[in-house]
Amino acid sequence: MDEKREQMDWVAAVEVAGEKPPEVPPHGPVVWARENLFSSVGSGILTAAGLLVALVFFKAMLGYIFGADRKWDAVATNLRLYFTQAYPDDQYVRVWVAVGIALALTGLSAAIWRASGRVNGYKLGGWSFGVAGGLLTMLVLSPFSWGARLIYLILALVFVGTGQYLRMSHPKIEVPALSVVVGVLAVLVGSLWVVPYGRHTFVNGEVQPPRPGTVAMTTKLPWTVMLLVMVVAYFVGKAVRDKVSPGLSKGLLVAGWMLLVPFDYFVILRDPALDYGQVFRVDVPIFLFFAVVGSALLWWLSDPERGEIGRVVAGLMVIGAGVFWLAAAFGLSVRQIIRIDLLLLSVVAVAAPTFTGEKAVRRRFILGWLILLALVNYMAMMVNTDSTVEVPGSFPLGGFSLTLLVATSVLLMSFPIGLILALGRTSKMPIFRLLSTTYIEVIRGVPLITILIFFKIILNLFLPDGMSLGNEMSAILGYALFSAAYLAENVRGGLQSIRKGQYEAANALGMSTAQTTSFIVLPQALRAVVPPLVGGVIATFKETSLLFIIGLFDFLRIGYVVVGGQTAFVGSQRENLLFVAFIYWIITFSISRSSVQLEKKLGLGER
Amino acid sequence: MVVIKWISQVVVLILVVSGLLFFAAQAGSNLRAKNIETSWRFLSVKPGIQLGEGIDVNPSTGARALWVGMVNTIRVSAVGLILATILGTIIGVARLSKNWIVNKLSTTFIEIIRNVPLLVQILFWAVVIRTWSEVDFNLGPIHNWFMVSQKGIALPRIFPSTGFYQWMVVVLIGAYVGRRVYHQRETEREETGRETHALSTALGIVAVFAAVGLLIHPLFGFLGPIFTAIGDVLDAIPILVVQLLLSAAMVAAAGLWIKRFLDNLRTPAGLAKLTDDDIFRIIFAGFSALMGIVLVFVIWPGLSAWLIHSLRDFFHLLGDKFEWLRTGRPLDGERPRIVQTGRFPNFSTSGLVITKEFAALLFGVVLYTAAFIAEIVRAGILAVPKGQTEAAGALGLSRGLALRKVVLPQAMRVILPPMGNQYLNLVKNTSLAIAVGFADLVQVGQTLYNQTGRTLEVVAIWMGFYLGMSLLISVVVNFFNVRLRIVER
Amino acid sequence: MTGLEARADMIVCEGVKKWFGDFQALRGIDMTVEEREVVVVLGPSGSGKSTLIRCINRLEVHQEGRIIVDGVELTNDLRNIEKIRSEVGMVFQQFNLFPHLTIMDNITLAPIWVRKKPREEAETLAMELLDRVGIPEQADKYPGQLSGGQQQRVAIARALAMEPRVMLFDEPTSALDPEMIKEVLDVMKELAQTGMTMIVVTHEMGFAREVADRIIFMESGEIVEEGTPEHFFTNPTEDRTKLFLSQIL
Repeated sequence: MDEKREQMDWVAAVEVAGEKPPEVPPHGPVVWARENLFSSVGSGILTAAGLLVALVFFKAMLGYIFGADRKWDAVATNLRLYFTQAYPDDQYVRVWVAVGIALALTGLSAAIWRASGRVNGYKLGGWSFGVAGGLLTMLVLSPFSWGARLIYLILALVFVGTGQYLRMSHPKIEVPALSVVVGVLAVLVGSLWVVPYGRHTFVNGEVQPPRPGTVAMTTKLPWTVMLLVMVVAYFVGKAVRDKVSPGLSKGLLVAGWMLLVPFDYFVILRDPALDYGQVFRVDVPIFLFFAVVGSALLWWLSDPERGEIGRVVAGLMVIGAGVFWLAAAFGLSVRQIIRIDLLLLSVVAVAAPTFTGEKAVRRRFILGWLILLALVNYMAMMVNTDSTVEVPGSFPLGGFSLTLLVATSVLLMSFPIGLILALGRTSKMPIFRLLSTTYIEVIRGVPLITILIFFKIILNLFLPDGMSLGNEMSAILGYALFSAAYLAENVRGGLQSIRKGQYEAANALGMSTAQTTSFIVLPQALRAVVPPLVGGVIATFKETSLLFIIGLFDFLRIGYVVVGGQTAFVGSQRENLLFVAFIYWIITFSISRSSVQLEKKLGLGER
Repeated sequence: MVVIKWISQVVVLILVVSGLLFFAAQAGSNLRAKNIETSWRFLSVKPGIQLGEGIDVNPSTGARALWVGMVNTIRVSAVGLILATILGTIIGVARLSKNWIVNKLSTTFIEIIRNVPLLVQILFWAVVIRTWSEVDFNLGPIHNWFMVSQKGIALPRIFPSTGFYQWMVVVLIGAYVGRRVYHQRETEREETGRETHALSTALGIVAVFAAVGLLIHPLFGFLGPIFTAIGDVLDAIPILVVQLLLSAAMVAAAGLWIKRFLDNLRTPAGLAKLTDDDIFRIIFAGFSALMGIVLVFVIWPGLSAWLIHSLRDFFHLLGDKFEWLRTGRPLDGERPRIVQTGRFPNFSTSGLVITKEFAALLFGVVLYTAAFIAEIVRAGILAVPKGQTEAAGALGLSRGLALRKVVLPQAMRVILPPMGNQYLNLVKNTSLAIAVGFADLVQVGQTLYNQTGRTLEVVAIWMGFYLGMSLLISVVVNFFNVRLRIVER
Repeated sequence: MTGLEARADMIVCEGVKKWFGDFQALRGIDMTVEEREVVVVLGPSGSGKSTLIRCINRLEVHQEGRIIVDGVELTNDLRNIEKIRSEVGMVFQQFNLFPHLTIMDNITLAPIWVRKKPREEAETLAMELLDRVGIPEQADKYPGQLSGGQQQRVAIARALAMEPRVMLFDEPTSALDPEMIKEVLDVMKELAQTGMTMIVVTHEMGFAREVADRIIFMESGEIVEEGTPEHFFTNPTEDRTKLFLSQIL
């Protein structure tokens, strides 16, 4: 660590000296090749062998991908099946709305967090050369027709020209990286309108022979709108970001992201059939009751004068709420939402003394409670209302959307559980520590598939009469409990990296244990473990493919079994698997790349 | 404050335990309602299933079937572990290469493999193998030596033959002698500075013993009756004695742990004041020992008998392998052949036939794990500060020597713990075998519970097995880790 | 001191230039160090002092000019480099002791494996050296258990164990707490009195004044001024030197 810093200082110092070097050391392609490819006999042999491997590999790969008898039609025709399985056509606009909300959040977030770094012309030129190199490799190694090769050659030359122009004429100009990304996306979306990709359709289970021309309107129009939504959201965000306090806007966005998945799924995609009579007779009164009584109670509890009595009352409430839940098992039937609200209230009550102080803070605390209560009640109402979307099978989503739903819900659910487990394992209270450690080690010692099978087959045996979970939900539950153990281990690494001085300083300021943990320790610990946490996100996303084994219609099953089994596309399993692999790859690769950027931004990568 | 702390803990403990009890009771009543009783009887009756491959494809009992599955899991894990380590190390070092193309190739490999789900890769290999050629009578690439078909890959194999165990005794004696000589020579070299060729001498000695063993191994047949006798003696030990011994061992272990724990707390000024946490730890150690004793005597009285019988069977088996003046080659080899079975040509049972399921699973886990191991190796080598290499260079150490004496020992310390994690992942990942139909523990278990309805029991066995494996791996990794630890203030 | 004797040239640099990417770190260094001479290199940070002595030990590769150590020119030939490195001892700012080896093993590693000495002989020598640097009782400890000053003294002993003809010191006291600096400087003084050829990069002016035969002042990769300590500290000729001294003293 010191070593590195020393060198950094040193380089910085040279920079300060800052004179233009009188001589430029010799370098050029020949020197580069000598130093990097043929520095010794061994290196030369390695280079030759490596080139051979690369040549064979890329030739085989490109030859396969662009081979004449490849059934890429299987993918092109089934794209909708791949992403949303059998979501009904007449309701399809819901899918686009769901995607649009996500993209709008993306645009807003990019603006609010000022995510865009800047790239200079020299670097852009380098990228341009890279693209050209890729195109040239493809045109040399792929089994293309001469016409196609000519197009690739022209494209490659355009990129070479652009790169050369940028490098020579404008090496120092700077563009926001974001506009480069949006530009590329715009070109891709624009090409849907221009380039004749062909129109692949599937009418009443019959594959239509692909027609020439651009893709169907139902593809290109929504995508164009989506891109616009994202761009507009970005500019909206840019316009408001200086007028709203950053704390508020960022908080709202984080809440938005957390709510995105349940909202998209339960409210938009499921299209619940609300019975308004029921809503006003039952749901609204329950909400109002908890809003009024809860607020009053919290106002009383959060008074700094309250002291230990407040804690005792809150503790009793938690126990009461817990007993209330357990009582359900012995036949005390109460509306589920009442149990949920009671538990919520008691948890917030426990937190009250930690987060409050003077009157203004208490008022904000009560406001927070009301918002939370409203959200929970709204979501619970939506979740409990039946879906009106008619699909074959019991679950409205399938394919990639199911994979995404499972991955995101698992992440959302495992985060709080993992946090509690990590705190438990590092706590000074031996029974908590014992319970957490046992849980974590047992879960980490067994393969995910055994947990998934356990939850699929056995979970319903353990539930009281009348309660049951669908396959999808039990898989999500099992998977979340599984990944919480891994997440806990990652967070524990962060907790252990916090120096003792931080605790001592917090104690010296008179903070309670809960305050120290939530204001001092956790923020630092989570920041320190961003890289492993992102690794965990990637692993979770990749391992959703295991849903295939327990028979769910996830992305992999759609590709491998459903599309691969269509009579029109018999024997297309390799193509389908490659497509599935490609989509997984694109997503995990971009997550891991952006995590590297994030690490740089947080200053974590340095050592 | 302490009181509140303990009350809250006990309340949570009670909630957790009662929650578990509640679920267990619920499961019990649900099972009774469906008229299924928890029972382990399925382990001892013939399951009537046929396994894809393994040491016994027609197992006579459920337990035997699961055992075959475990052996298959261990088999594919062991092979995968070795191959992934070798491949991963090579690629990891290649990523540090100054040669541009080698560097980029290994980076490409890692970035592709790491970012695609393992299951997709395994299925992909399975599909690829399905497109290979059919078995025929002039199958290549090298007929009757190395044959690749959609049924799998066939290789020659070397296996222990009748004289193996007797010969092995001679080799083991040779290894012992060689080790002694090696250390002696090493000391001599260090004391006098003369080159003593310690390693080559020691290897030579082992080779001589192995060669001589080929001639004299029949003489070692006398060990057979001794092993049998040991087995008989073990069998004669009353179960009660075994139970008492086990209990004593557990009490001793707990006592040792407590003693060490207290020793660590001891300061020059005397024993530090015990916190309630420390007291809990001590009580818990004692409690665990007590639970162990309860387990041995009450919960699972058959455990001791099972242990002692397994040991007895092991020694009897060993006894059977030795026979006075039994001749025969220690090792034998055979090549794969193609035979006509039914209407189509197929691989014969001779030679080493890697089935298509095994191959798909193996390719998948080896490449996948290798990509992660490569990153670990790279990070480990990079973690050694540059100053260390420079200091070694400044002392005149050659690059090879610096790598061996300075960089690698320090890199190993960084590499080992995550490497252990990867090994563990590999073992767990072999459970994806179920997707390609390889008869590993999970697949066999699934077949078994589909047939008998004993899901809970099978899941319990799965978890027990994998927990055991992970315990084993972490014990081994820990053992090496402790030896590599660097002393700091 | 013994300036009138004809002494052999130990290190000769002729027009040495070195770049890191586009930064030029050394801009043509000409310098000669004679046998038994103690040369102290001064200069602001980033002036190329460390780079210069790292080039002499071939830890960095210069791109132009010649460096000749004890009559052997530094080239890409590996045998030359290893020969020179075993004759030139180096002490680093960050000590760079091997954390996985005991103090004794740190010192005896190179003598045993490079010089092929019997272990016993190497250990005797190591004990002598540890005695000389004043920490014989630490032989069986690990570097992590020693203080910074002790570690640096072990590093000096480790370099001396190769019986080098030249010692290079790269800011040996910069990473130390003030109270530990003296113990290291004392060892270096004692070493200078035994007639070891030394090049020392340091910010310790007192040491430079007291021990150096010659002082070289560098800035921006060039030698600005050189001369005896007396000349340098009392009567510098160059403005840049004066500026530097006025900031430091």
